Amino acid sequence: MGNIRKREFATGAVILAIGLGYLYMTSTLPRKQFIDAAFVPYILAITMCLLGVLQMWDANKLGIGASSGAAAKDVNAADTADYRTVWKTLGLIIGYVAFLDPIGFPIMTFVYLFAQFIVLTPIEKRINYLMYGAIAIITSVTVYITFRHAFDMILPVGLLNDLID
Amino acid sequence: MLSLFQQGFEIVFTFQILGLIFFGTVVGIIFGAIPGLTAAMAVALFLPITYNLGASAGISLLVGLYIGGISGGLISAILLKIPGTPASVATTFDGAPMMVKGEGAKALGVGIVYSFIGTLLSIFALIFIAPTLAKIALSFGPHEYFSIAFFSLTLIVTLATGSMVKGIFSGAIGFVFSTVGIAPVDAIQRFTFGLTALNGGFDILPVLIGLFAISEIIKLAENVKSAKHATIQPVTLKGFGFSMKEFWGQGWNCIRSTLIGTGIGILPGIGSGTSNIVAYMVAKKRSKYPEKFGTGIIDGVVASEAASCAAVGGAMIPLLTLGIPGDTVTAMLLGGFMIHGIQPGPLLFVSQGPLVYSIFVAMLVSSLMMLVCEMYGVRAFIKLLAVPQYILLPIILVLCVVGAFGLGNRIFDVGTIVFFGLVGYGFVKCGIPQTPFIIGLILGPMAETNLRRGLMLSDGNFMGFLTEPISAAFLVLATASVVLHIVQSHRAKPTIPAKA
Repeated sequence: MGNIRKREFATGAVILAIGLGYLYMTSTLPRKQFIDAAFVPYILAITMCLLGVLQMWDANKLGIGASSGAAAKDVNAADTADYRTVWKTLGLIIGYVAFLDPIGFPIMTFVYLFAQFIVLTPIEKRINYLMYGAIAIITSVTVYITFRHAFDMILPVGLLNDLID
Repeated sequence: MLSLFQQGFEIVFTFQILGLIFFGTVVGIIFGAIPGLTAAMAVALFLPITYNLGASAGISLLVGLYIGGISGGLISAILLKIPGTPASVATTFDGAPMMVKGEGAKALGVGIVYSFIGTLLSIFALIFIAPTLAKIALSFGPHEYFSIAFFSLTLIVTLATGSMVKGIFSGAIGFVFSTVGIAPVDAIQRFTFGLTALNGGFDILPVLIGLFAISEIIKLAENVKSAKHATIQPVTLKGFGFSMKEFWGQGWNCIRSTLIGTGIGILPGIGSGTSNIVAYMVAKKRSKYPEKFGTGIIDGVVASEAASCAAVGGAMIPLLTLGIPGDTVTAMLLGGFMIHGIQPGPLLFVSQGPLVYSIFVAMLVSSLMMLVCEMYGVRAFIKLLAVPQYILLPIILVLCVVGAFGLGNRIFDVGTIVFFGLVGYGFVKCGIPQTPFIIGLILGPMAETNLRRGLMLSDGNFMGFLTEPISAAFLVLATASVVLHIVQSHRAKPTIPAKA
């Protein structure tokens, strides 16, 4: 129960923080008159601040009103998310995008796919490096050639600049 | 109207466009059938590719993806008891028990036929309602457009979610992102942080790809390692699997569910994901044998499938006539129009009549292709369900990256999809609905621009929005929907929010 309340309270705090941040940024906009480029941003910022407060208020009420019964246990029990895999996946996605330009699409796509297949392989399955490598390289080359020649899309080639025209 | 239809047929009935509709429908069914992949994801993926196609060809492909994607969910809903898309949640209630009873083929036949009928009837509704509505909308000015945008924003936050606070926040933050770039009317730069890439604001397509595709992939990473691979019993379809007596017996159920689906589709921001459940509940309530619902009767499958697919035609009505998306997929179709420099709205019917009617024809053709593909290709779709997600998802991510890059050959757009993917995942974890965000992002500029134009027309007087009758009516409706929601929330017992 405490976890749910904390989560809902934290959501409210984040909404309030975003509202305040946006309010600050809006206050730096040049003003010309009452209805100008800052008018709607001010309304949005104030709305978000109010929503943040309301959300925290609701979270507090939840803590007082709801009992620590079976429903709460069910909600907590339902959270079986594998966050380690999520973090690894996020790291791989960010790395893939960050090095896409300097290293190039073909190499980075191969590296990303190969690593991502390994990270996502279910526990009871054996990691098949050969198959993963083959799928990664075939996908990388096929996607590059298809989009380069069929759609005239100039995907970054990075390190392979001298090899690929 | 008939000559426009004839022109629409001439545009669509070419080898290229028919091929694209067929391809889109098949890919859409695959995306709908595989749990975790959605029609929205399919459209997001293929949007950038339509850039190189003509407007009619590109939109036809997207329409095929949309119709196939919504209907395809019934395959896994019946065979795996896992809804392929939110549009087929209620199909599992009776479809899966029918599968257990050995009536899987019948359930599939019923689902396929009634999803076709639901789609077809809603397209007819679209064809007859949209041009009339567009004629009325031609007289709308800034006051009316602001009020409609405001009404749509309030409606999605009150209807699309249980938590009004989170719904409004989602719509507001979408609106906030739409304020990045050059401001309307006085052209002041806002929130660009000196980045020239942000001068034009966020391109809607990377935002959509990030929010609906990337976040979904990250979310699936939560459970993919421990997911058990489902085994599917072989199913052989002979004919439609049900008798003519059963067909006629479902007539009123089908019509009622189609009306519900079309009506819900028209409302901004909610679509198939809601209509199938509402229609199922109504069918159960009105049934002579409600106790049999959930045990494996065709009534439940008919209600769910007819309503979910009927939302397709309904959702296209506000998109084409007012430029307001009816659901998340039509929000992406709006992006598809923008790629080709087309602004949906009443003027579209005047300036691009043949294009509008080619969309109607493409929808009719796609629904027919959907029926044929699902009837005869069900075995192939079943085989595709066996492709493991841990192989499929990373490949989809690569395609998302290529799609985003292709929009402007900028790494910035690729970064944008990752950023909005993280935003979308954050929303999921906090139980914040994503649909109001995207509607806020799309309707934000419309609301702000028309608010300011309206105030200029009425010399800064806000009363201008209330003295125009249509504008006033929409503002009253918006206020009423919010008040009604607040009253209902107070009457309801406090509940523990579901863990996202």
